[in-house]
Amino acid sequence: ITESGNCSLVLCMDVGFSMSNSPPGEEPPFDQAKKVIQKFVQRQVFSESKDEMALVLFGTDATKNPLDQDGQYQHITVRRQLMAPDFELLEEIENHVRPESQQTDWLDALVVSMDLLQKGKYDRLNIVLLTDLSTQVSSDNLDVIIGNLGKLGITLQFLALKWYGDGDRRGSSRPGVGKGLSREQKQGLEMVRDIMLSLDEDEGLDQVYTFSEAIEQLFMFKHIERRPMAWPCQLTIGSSLSIRIVGYKAVTDEKLKKMWITVDAQTSKRDDVKRETVYCLDDDNETEVQKDDTIQGFRYGSDIVPFSKVDQEQMKYKHDGKCFAVLGFTKHDSIHRHLFMGSQTIKMFAPKDDEHAGVALSALIQALDKLNMVAIVRYAYDRRCNPQVGAAFPCIKQTYECLVYVQLPFMEDLRQFSFPSLENKKFTPSESQLAAVDSLIDSMMLVEEDENGQKEDMYKVHEIPNPAFQRLFQCLHHRAVNPGTPLPTMEQWLKDALERPSAISERCQAPLEEMKRKFPLKAVEKKKELKTGAQIFEPDAKKSKVDEEEEEFNLAKISEGNVTSVGSVDPARDFRSLINQKSLPFGEVCQQLTHRIEQLLSNRSTHYYMKCITCIQTFREQSVKLGNADLYNSYLQSLKKSIPNSGLQVFWDLLVQGMISLFIGGSRFSPT
Amino acid sequence: MINFVCLVLHNKRSAQFKKYLFIYLFIYFLFSPSVNYKVTGRDSLVFLVDASKEMFIKGEDGEPSNFDITMQCVRSVYTSKIISSHRDLVALVFYGTEKSKNPRNSFKHVYVYHDLDEPGAKRVQDVEALRGERGARLAADTMGSGEVSLGDALWCCSNLYSDIKLRLSHKRLMIFTCMDQPHGGDSTKDRQARTKAGDLKETGVVIDLMHLMKPGGFDVSLFFCDIVSPPEDESELGLQVEPCGKLDDLQKRVQAKQQKKRAMARVNLCLGEGMNVAVGVYANAVTARKPSAIRLYRETNEPVHSKTRTFHTQTGSLLLPSETRKAQVYGNRQIVMEKDEVDTIKKFYDPEIFLIGFKPMEKLKLHHHIRPSVLLYPEEQQVTGSSCVFAALLKKCTEKKVFAVCRYTPRRNYPPRFVALVPQREEVDESNVQVTPPGFNAIFLPFADDIRKLDTPQFPTASDVQVDKMKEIITKMRFKYRSDAFENPVIQQHYRNLEALALDMLAPESIEDFIMPKVEQIDRRLGPLVDEFKELVYPASYNPDSKPAAKRKTGQSRIHLTNSDPSRFIPWATIALVFIKETGIRVCNKDADLQ
Repeated sequence: ITESGNCSLVLCMDVGFSMSNSPPGEEPPFDQAKKVIQKFVQRQVFSESKDEMALVLFGTDATKNPLDQDGQYQHITVRRQLMAPDFELLEEIENHVRPESQQTDWLDALVVSMDLLQKGKYDRLNIVLLTDLSTQVSSDNLDVIIGNLGKLGITLQFLALKWYGDGDRRGSSRPGVGKGLSREQKQGLEMVRDIMLSLDEDEGLDQVYTFSEAIEQLFMFKHIERRPMAWPCQLTIGSSLSIRIVGYKAVTDEKLKKMWITVDAQTSKRDDVKRETVYCLDDDNETEVQKDDTIQGFRYGSDIVPFSKVDQEQMKYKHDGKCFAVLGFTKHDSIHRHLFMGSQTIKMFAPKDDEHAGVALSALIQALDKLNMVAIVRYAYDRRCNPQVGAAFPCIKQTYECLVYVQLPFMEDLRQFSFPSLENKKFTPSESQLAAVDSLIDSMMLVEEDENGQKEDMYKVHEIPNPAFQRLFQCLHHRAVNPGTPLPTMEQWLKDALERPSAISERCQAPLEEMKRKFPLKAVEKKKELKTGAQIFEPDAKKSKVDEEEEEFNLAKISEGNVTSVGSVDPARDFRSLINQKSLPFGEVCQQLTHRIEQLLSNRSTHYYMKCITCIQTFREQSVKLGNADLYNSYLQSLKKSIPNSGLQVFWDLLVQGMISLFIGGSRFSPT
Repeated sequence: MINFVCLVLHNKRSAQFKKYLFIYLFIYFLFSPSVNYKVTGRDSLVFLVDASKEMFIKGEDGEPSNFDITMQCVRSVYTSKIISSHRDLVALVFYGTEKSKNPRNSFKHVYVYHDLDEPGAKRVQDVEALRGERGARLAADTMGSGEVSLGDALWCCSNLYSDIKLRLSHKRLMIFTCMDQPHGGDSTKDRQARTKAGDLKETGVVIDLMHLMKPGGFDVSLFFCDIVSPPEDESELGLQVEPCGKLDDLQKRVQAKQQKKRAMARVNLCLGEGMNVAVGVYANAVTARKPSAIRLYRETNEPVHSKTRTFHTQTGSLLLPSETRKAQVYGNRQIVMEKDEVDTIKKFYDPEIFLIGFKPMEKLKLHHHIRPSVLLYPEEQQVTGSSCVFAALLKKCTEKKVFAVCRYTPRRNYPPRFVALVPQREEVDESNVQVTPPGFNAIFLPFADDIRKLDTPQFPTASDVQVDKMKEIITKMRFKYRSDAFENPVIQQHYRNLEALALDMLAPESIEDFIMPKVEQIDRRLGPLVDEFKELVYPASYNPDSKPAAKRKTGQSRIHLTNSDPSRFIPWATIALVFIKETGIRVCNKDADLQ
């Protein structure tokens, strides 16, 4: 069952009268329950879960369910049949799940949910019931219901409000169950206990949660869960000792599998945009050649050696494929943590059903651990993958033993730098400086012993969800549900999670001030650095965004009045204005612009060059807009020709760097 | 640096001498300390080689001649340059020759064998031809040995430099000779050479002497001390702009693809509001890959360049970046964003390393590895005082056995990662050469998403007898691991192949696969231990090499969540269980709280 991870699930939510009741200042159970299902569905949507999901509401004014007959199963509405969760479901919840005024027996709603699940396509069936248990329940058919739940293998989960007191179960070890509950709730609770216990003796109420703890956990988007892929292989020592093993990735630099696609800005259609790669010779005309007419080669100094794919395949390093072979054993401390390579660690176990392998591997793990040694191995995932050298560390936990494999560097990978020693008189810290650092470290220890002598780590990075994913999903969700509105700010919990814990911030205040007094730090004025094209262009590149451009143009119009000719202060803007006004013929405006460019260029200064490049960019952009590229192209061609004689190579280089492509349309000329 | 190497050369015997000559060279061209990444332009290197008769005298016991050694050296540098930095310019000039060959033929007894240019296959072959007996004969035929005028030779080299139209970032000239008095005491020629050397140095050329073995020893003070560039003043140096290379084992690097060492980033290490220490971020190791292929036009073998265009399918017009947007599809809905929105989503903080706090070293888990680490070293030039804070932190963290947890944002629009800053004290070997630089290693820490839940099978643990037998096996197979001991066979083979094709060799030189287990040797060493161990752990009928029998239906598995201590975050595993209950899963920390 665990192999196919998917399940069919019914969210069964009480929207009845009592759900919208709450003491003043407290959030009504309805709102909390709604948030829970919203967050849950969101997570399912973004984790691309294949689970199917249905939504049943009870306590509704209307009745809409397949069991509605003879006045039975009233006030129960099936909002959505079992299907994969999507944004429609989210909108449905947003817009159609609202507090209503009826009260319905939650056992009836459970029966409706069970009925729905019979049509589920997966083996694993779940019902999540969200209610405050305030309704009168008839327990007549309880046995039948329990029997059916068991027979169908349905797992039931309750989300109840105010389970015990304040709903905060952390901190208080034995919460007073049933405190402050109504008679109905107490009765409901008993019944829930009966059901849960009869379904699973072991766990009973483990599957009962309060809304607030569910919601606290659901605030984060579900993290990526990948099914671990087994890698069966043999660990070999020499030619005749082998131990069967299975490897699983334990830690890896997880990336999102979904990439951004490019769509047309107007239609938002992907099919409207096509990307094409062409190959050109390095001649003046940039003659295009077909991909089939090209071969591959490699640089060997100033020579290029043609080396076809076939030859390369023939001559390349070949090996026997999958392998985990021990080269030798070495001291644990000769492996440096800072030289771990690759982006993963793999845990090696013996195969589940092979006890002999288990014992053999255990002998190796125990022996390594006792000798404080590690195995150096040759690891190859399969025939197509390059072999690696790596270390297999023994790992002994309370419940299991394994080898942990990490890739080590090849000689070619190493960057062996040496740096000037810091044991230099100039930098040697004084005793008082060292004392300041000492107390700073003491004030900032993240791991401390609590009153019971337990070491408590208050900042576990490996329990923080990757903020990049969280933020992306937050923005995607926002944009999907509220198109046309700006992106939201980062959620507060995420911000907090990435900050120094407040306890530490407070504690380190004074030591930090002392550090500042003891260590004078002074930022050195940056020398004027040689600007690269990219740096110079950065601000301009941003301006080319259509919106800003339009805005800028409008502002210009208001503040400058009517533009009549291309001036020297901001020729690009004037040019754009004139073209928009259409009061002068395009050719004439272009001529005015090119005249200005020539004037500016004659100054031979970077500042003027930048202005000219803006002009040329604007020239190009307007030409594209008007579909008239001739004037632009011919101007650029003449400009290019004049470069060698006019000593404007610097300008040309900047221009080439700064523009995506110089010429417009089919006639592409090499800018270099 | 120069003084140091001279010392080594004088003290070592000739067998070792060769090795050190190589090493010395490699230091210079691979790790020249004055190479500044900020300066654009190409590096250049001129080999100025003495071709007088003394250079061709063979050593005792058939030791190769100084000339032969020099040519081996030049060839290595050529092939190495080809792999590491083929854009650099290299020249080979002989002096003290009979015949002359130089641009305007204005200098006698100077033979420009290779002009300043990028090295290629032809040049490697040319130098190869000058090696060994045949090489010596070829040299005698083409150039011969004659009068020596170092002044003329230097002048000629300076012309080589001035003929180059390219911008040169770094100019170096290396003189190879075994004559400490090249002009035999002719003071006019000596003076000429000094003047010319002075001119060269003034134009930014660094002159080094590769003095070779000579009976009676080579006395630098007789003449060459005035020719070579003075060593950089250590006391004034303080902090070098770039770290310089390690002496050890550089010879192996001939075939290694070297990237220019440079800081990947320069950021502030922020200890708190208003307390910023400037640091440079350096890669400890980068996975070397085969260079990427170049596309060539089939007919002419000339390189082609590719262009990628984006156009509208309907209208066929080119689309500007502003005319497109970015989208992703989730839950049957296409969600569209502007390109700059996509960037801003990735932006969390400005580039910095922000200190969160400290933890004891044992809290750093070995298997929490997601990418190669980087090294931090202070940047005194950006913020004065940085080195002192850094040194103090380094010292105290080492003493207290703690590491720093930091939030690291390497660039703008780059989501943060957390790193553990692990102190690394400087280590030097017996000859006072640095083996480990001082600094903090930044180990990247995984997020919850990076950690996978595993279903861990349980087995009986091995008995003491079994473990002891394995200990014997392990002890027999002990070796001293060195991180630079393993070459990458894939890359090595690739370069050998290229070399063979480029130099028209019949077959590529064979490589040694260092990561192949030496099975026979292992078997021999282990002897009967293997069978003894197998007898202890495997029943007679068991064969680990056979295909496993049809998979037994696996029973219900228990996932053990080892992490049950409460914290700021509830383990994800627990959260996943809120709704979806897997058969047999038990959440450890529930029982205590809920009855």
